[in-house]
Amino acid sequence: MLFLTEILGAEVIDVRQRRTGAVRDLTVHVQEPYPIVTGLVVSRRRELAIPWSEVRTFAAVTREVALRSSREEIESRRADPDDIWLARDVLDKQVVDTDGRRVVRVNDLQLVESGGRLLLVGADIGVRGILRRLGVEGFAKRLARLFGRDLPMALVSWEVVDPLNSVPDRQKPASDDAVRLRISGRRIARLHPADIADIVEELGAKERKTVFDTLTEEVAADTLEEMELEDQVSVIEHMDARRASEILDDMPPDEVADILTELPEDVAQQLLGLMKKAEAEDVKELLAYEEDTAGGLMTTEYVAVSENLTAQECIDELRRLEPDAESVYYVFVVDGDEHLKGVLSLRDLIVARPDQPISSIMIRDVIAVHPDDDAKEVAAVLSKYNLLAVPVVDDEFRIQGLVTVDDALDAVLPESVKRKLPRAH
Amino acid sequence: MRLRRFRRLFLLLAVVGPGLITSNADNDAGGIATYSQAGAQFGYKMLWLLVGVTISLAVVNEMGARMGVVTGKGLADLIRERFGVRGTTFAMLLLLFANAFTTVAEFAGIAAGMELFGVPRFASVPVAAILIFLLVVRGSYPVVEKVLLSIGLVYVTYIVSGFLVHPPWNEVLRSSLVPQIVPQRDYFLLAIALIGTTVTPWMQFYLQAAVADKGIPNENLAYSRADVLVGALVTDVIAFFIIVATAATLHGHLSSDQLANMQAGDFARALAPAAGRFATTLFAIGLVGASFLAGSVVPLSTAYAVTEAFGWERGVGHRFAEAPAFFGIFTGLIVIGALATLTPDLPLVSMILLSQDANGIILPAILVFMLVLLNDRRIMGRYVNGRFANAIAGFTVAVLMVLTMLIVLSSIPGSPLSG
Repeated sequence: MLFLTEILGAEVIDVRQRRTGAVRDLTVHVQEPYPIVTGLVVSRRRELAIPWSEVRTFAAVTREVALRSSREEIESRRADPDDIWLARDVLDKQVVDTDGRRVVRVNDLQLVESGGRLLLVGADIGVRGILRRLGVEGFAKRLARLFGRDLPMALVSWEVVDPLNSVPDRQKPASDDAVRLRISGRRIARLHPADIADIVEELGAKERKTVFDTLTEEVAADTLEEMELEDQVSVIEHMDARRASEILDDMPPDEVADILTELPEDVAQQLLGLMKKAEAEDVKELLAYEEDTAGGLMTTEYVAVSENLTAQECIDELRRLEPDAESVYYVFVVDGDEHLKGVLSLRDLIVARPDQPISSIMIRDVIAVHPDDDAKEVAAVLSKYNLLAVPVVDDEFRIQGLVTVDDALDAVLPESVKRKLPRAH
Repeated sequence: MRLRRFRRLFLLLAVVGPGLITSNADNDAGGIATYSQAGAQFGYKMLWLLVGVTISLAVVNEMGARMGVVTGKGLADLIRERFGVRGTTFAMLLLLFANAFTTVAEFAGIAAGMELFGVPRFASVPVAAILIFLLVVRGSYPVVEKVLLSIGLVYVTYIVSGFLVHPPWNEVLRSSLVPQIVPQRDYFLLAIALIGTTVTPWMQFYLQAAVADKGIPNENLAYSRADVLVGALVTDVIAFFIIVATAATLHGHLSSDQLANMQAGDFARALAPAAGRFATTLFAIGLVGASFLAGSVVPLSTAYAVTEAFGWERGVGHRFAEAPAFFGIFTGLIVIGALATLTPDLPLVSMILLSQDANGIILPAILVFMLVLLNDRRIMGRYVNGRFANAIAGFTVAVLMVLTMLIVLSSIPGSPLSG
């Protein structure tokens, strides 16, 4: 077992026993599961790239790297631009431990020789790595033993590490950087959106961007939904407008409206213009309402069916619409002009005979709120009638949207209470 | 329409903030004591230095804000990524050292302020320590922050006082523009304290982290710049009038024994022209408020910086066992601050001034770290430091180092500066 920092600074000796410089970095080629070391970067008068195949031995004790060839033979080599430099790009940087679902810092990198190749197998994220680099690892170990303790090694397998390198590389075109990140960014994309949200909330603004760049639109939208409004806004602001609009298309319109409200108007208008027409229309309607009213809280994603259907037809219609879990609490029944006539629960639908007209099983006295109603009134209605959601209707009782209980709760709970809620892990 | 109502307002609120807040916290116990001492002891002779420090403050804060906007990372983060474990350990030890001193100064400020109300420090300091701990850990801090920030407005009284004392404006103006150096050890010490209390090491970490947290896009850098520039100006306008008011009311009326052992009550007299018999009360309220604000911010931001640099768990949302280093540093600094202040018969003002000297001596190292980062194209891209910022920051480093050397020289017995 070898650590990167043990080889950094080692003296390079060529085949004719001449000093050729000190090891400044190791380059690796990214591959699954473990990246393979492709060469050494040696600082002399100028940077030299020495392929790993030219390295005969590395003596850890004397810290000397012996080469198979003479330095004249390797003088002209260049490092592969696609390779990652371990000291420059990974060491000391923050990475995501996708197993522990947390952001950690790389104190050292663990290398293992296998079949004549040197592989990057893990990251040291513990205090041992820090002590090693301060040159006091041995001393600290002895000190710990004196107190009958053990200094455990904290290593994370490279298989679960996801680098977050967001330092712009000025020597390379931007597209090149993006490709490299996309390859390495896959692991975090496989986590649950709620976990991704927890992780990115610990990152700086630019690192968040690199993580979001590696996610698909759907996963990005789900992740964004799990985040606080303030963070949502910052993520959208940093994103390319076209991609941002695609992600917003996949989000519930009420959340999109909240985000756009917080953005400068020109940015908001640009994003609305880029979004799909139908989604943008929904959002624009919501933007017209005041923030703490039923109109401001409601989503336009609700299920409304025609009053002329039978129970079976209604179930078929639901199958076709594939509504989101949040909006299927209640099925609303409307006439040809969107007037709210009644409401059905899924239970009502399923227990009814297939040929039964839904107008005969629906509840006709629908509890509804007006778009201008205050958030507190909406919450009171939900609480009084024990509802999971309440429809919003205009003066002529035409359905406009739906306020779910979680959105209403969010609006009426005081900030101080929300902060005290335990953080789920 | 929600959209229209919010647009400009929000953009400003999003960007404006960190600079103004940090600058306000700048007039804490250390600031008040140092500026007051400067006025009382040397009259208007340090005004030119304050004018110079204002330029330095604006430039350095702009550098930090720019780094926060462009990289989206805190200063501790960048130091770790650029300088590795050794450089980081060095920087963090310096920061811990400087901030321990600063925390002591804040508690001394609370103690001195409360003593003016007749509350002994053995009561006020432990209560303040527990209060700060609970406020921050319980997360109710943001609300309190707003109250404390508004207490900072008390210091506007200094501006009124500065006009009512009818200072010799000709002399004030001349002293602001023409450097006057008094070749005395006290003068050099106070000069270091004056620079160190205005451009503090902790503020560089706090400001940049706050800016980075806001996730401001590069296009809005101009707003961030405006924020820190206005902040620097506001801070130092108040500092300017503190010196003017104390110079007019106290300078020349005190013996050298009194000067060497100033009390908070003496400083309060500078507010008398504006506040009359309420001067002491007003001064005490301002001092306690500002010290309490900085006394919460400094330990918290230190804990964040160190844990961020070493990649340890952090945040008040965690439990103690989950983030031992974070809570350990935060609690440790509060305990050190409180215990040091409780030492019997300790002259509070002298201790505050000494802590600002420590900050001034450590500041050059932090500025050098910043300068290297700001001149690195891999980190800053096309936003690297310009010549002007490099020159001003470099000059600040040089001045502080020369002053420190003069202090060392003056401690040698028989040297012309000693005595």
